[in-house]
Amino acid sequence: MSTKGASLKGLLLVTLLVSHMLLTKEGVTSLPICPNGSVNCQLSLEELFDRAVKLSHYIHFLSSEMFNEFDERYAQGRGFIAKAVNSCHTASLTTPEDKEQAQQIHHEDLLNLILGVLRSWNDPLVHLASEVQRIKEAPETILWKAVEIEEQNKRLLEGMEKIVGRVQSGEVENDIYTPWDGLPSLQLADEDSRLFAFYNLLHCLRRDSHKIDNYLKVLKCRLIHDNNC
Amino acid sequence: DLLQRPQISKCRSPEMETFSCFWTAGNFYNLTVPRILQLLYKKSNEEDWKECPDYITSGHNSCYFNASYTSVWTPYCVQLASKNEIHDKKCFSVDEIVLPDPPVHLNWTLLNTSQTGIYGDIQVRWDPPPTADVRKGWITLEYELQYKEVNETKWKELKPRLSTMAPLYSLKTARDYEIRIRSRQRTSEKFGEFSEILYVSFSQIGIGCDHCTEEVEFPWFLVVVFGVCGLAVTVISIMLSKQPRLKMLIFPPVPVPKIKGIDPDLLKKGKLDEVNSILACHDSYKTQLYSDDLWVEFIELDIEDPDEKNRASDTDRLLSEDHLKSHNCLGVKDDDSGRASCCEPDIPETDFSASDTCDATSDSDQFKKATEKEEDLLCLDRQDNDESLASTDPQSWHRNTPSENSLLWAPFGDSIESPRPSVHTPISNQNSLTSNDFYAQVSDITPAGRVVLSPGQKSKLGRAQHEGCTEQNFTVDNTYFCEADVKKCIAVTSHEENEPHVQEQVYNEDGYFTTESLTTTVANFGAPTAAPPSSETPVADYTSIHIVQSPQGLVLNATALPVPDKEFNVSCGYVSTDQLNKIMP
Repeated sequence: MSTKGASLKGLLLVTLLVSHMLLTKEGVTSLPICPNGSVNCQLSLEELFDRAVKLSHYIHFLSSEMFNEFDERYAQGRGFIAKAVNSCHTASLTTPEDKEQAQQIHHEDLLNLILGVLRSWNDPLVHLASEVQRIKEAPETILWKAVEIEEQNKRLLEGMEKIVGRVQSGEVENDIYTPWDGLPSLQLADEDSRLFAFYNLLHCLRRDSHKIDNYLKVLKCRLIHDNNC
Repeated sequence: DLLQRPQISKCRSPEMETFSCFWTAGNFYNLTVPRILQLLYKKSNEEDWKECPDYITSGHNSCYFNASYTSVWTPYCVQLASKNEIHDKKCFSVDEIVLPDPPVHLNWTLLNTSQTGIYGDIQVRWDPPPTADVRKGWITLEYELQYKEVNETKWKELKPRLSTMAPLYSLKTARDYEIRIRSRQRTSEKFGEFSEILYVSFSQIGIGCDHCTEEVEFPWFLVVVFGVCGLAVTVISIMLSKQPRLKMLIFPPVPVPKIKGIDPDLLKKGKLDEVNSILACHDSYKTQLYSDDLWVEFIELDIEDPDEKNRASDTDRLLSEDHLKSHNCLGVKDDDSGRASCCEPDIPETDFSASDTCDATSDSDQFKKATEKEEDLLCLDRQDNDESLASTDPQSWHRNTPSENSLLWAPFGDSIESPRPSVHTPISNQNSLTSNDFYAQVSDITPAGRVVLSPGQKSKLGRAQHEGCTEQNFTVDNTYFCEADVKKCIAVTSHEENEPHVQEQVYNEDGYFTTESLTTTVANFGAPTAAPPSSETPVADYTSIHIVQSPQGLVLNATALPVPDKEFNVSCGYVSTDQLNKIMP
């Protein structure tokens, strides 16, 4: 009887796993891997863009929620919003600001810009994940999201580099990058100043993730669907 | 009236390419002297406040910023001012204030209808708002559809979807429906305005079922059928399952009549005596068993010896000398009906394994041996002739002391389980023969299964004897009396039954003594009586000795002795001490 029970349990477990795999097919984390795992496995550009768009959408979604949670919990009554001038460290990168500019920029340049923005956020995300834990009574959801965003950003960077490698005719320009020097502000002793630094960082993160998500969608529609999404 | 300042109500961008801000004037100012409200704006990377480029396009109290003025991810600040007074200020970025226009061109088509025609499925389609440039991927929208029956108040919602079509299932063809849709940017939370309402009427396309208004009743029949089936399946699975616990929980077993320690089969086909012996394990049964009344019943049940029943005066027969023989009861195999003869070795031994709950502290084999010995010694009534009742069997004494019943039986019962059936046989026979006027007392039962008779009877018997026993030549010293003799006497008296004061001294390890004990205590009696019973066949020269306080109390089975047929009455096969003294040199 024990073996029967064990085999039943195993069967149930397998069923659950398979169903989970099938149901979460749309999820970001369950993208189809290269079939057969062969060395020469090549995903089509469409699939690469699909994955990239999904990842960027997910990152923006997490950033948006994290910002809203932080705003709700820490920023109320502190007048952060009133301080309109908050510049992000990626402001120095000249990215398209409207649809026309996005239409006119060359796709390779746009791809490189995307890469630059993603690289510029690598470092801040790492520190964000570590420093947000030091916030007094930080909710678990914020902590988890910070870690998740950092992880997904790395994956998106890898994906984008693959796309750039496919699309780029010439050599890949790797010099688009903005360093981040906001770490001291995240470690300020004054709680108000520190929280304002976090608020700014999260605000910038939400904005930049939205930018990247939009650019990728534009590129996908332009390159894959020929402007007919 | 409350004083209301002019304030900016909202700023909105429908497609992330332009945006507009709206404000309310409030009643702050006297309308006779109109103040001019200005909306000033400033980008974050600029320093000067600029005035609104377009106050008209978006309507009254609005400011419209066209595409050239719009930078999507650039923070803006707008402020409502009049002259030098700032009434309100707002800061935002365009990507945060996106609220798309409602979808357009709603229409529906029929997918299919049910067989009864009562229900139908439709597919609703629409177009994205024209202002939103979804084709180039500049903005991604998701849509939420709501519908309800015409005369209802609450809208039902479908979950937001990216596609511009949605099916609606199981709409009642007899009713009309209203549908409306709104959209939002995919990562935003706020929806835009609702679209125009789409009316769905099945009758317009000719499939309306006006008379199909009956409500489908609750399918009681199906529910009952499936419930019964499910229950039956559950019951069957429980019954067939091999989980005894579950089975016992749901279907507790019906307790069958069971007496502890008794095999039901034995009850069905076992011999009555064996059954009685087993039943005697129980105290309640014991006490009852040996009450006078039960003896009567017990006698009646013994049907295998019809002759016994017909005997009138068993006691007399027992006590009469004619029946007494000095032969070896144990060795004689006479032709009387089986049960009555204690010397019948072919009394079957029952399967003692059946009665397993009676406490048995000693070896069952030893019991069996003891049983055989005791059985042989019982030498109960013979039908016709040999009444050499080896009444050393204490069991014969048991019954005749009702007051000592518990004492008699308890030790015996507890210590002997297996041999009881065969032992009981002669008892029953004797009981059938006796008329309950013969008492003996067993003082103890040894663990070996031997019975220790109480010498206390001696006094009683002696007294009885003195009172009424004249026949026999007994001495008071004799602790043992011939059963037959005692029967005559005990009937007279009944007092002093409760004086087992001497019985304490009787105790020896064995109620019946083996050779060793014989030799030690019966030195006077010599060897012949010390024939080791264990080494002999039970029927043969086994001599039972019961020694009481004094060696004079030794009574031997006269069968083992060279019994002279002289003056001493081997009335029942037992030799009193004095008699033995006479016998022995």
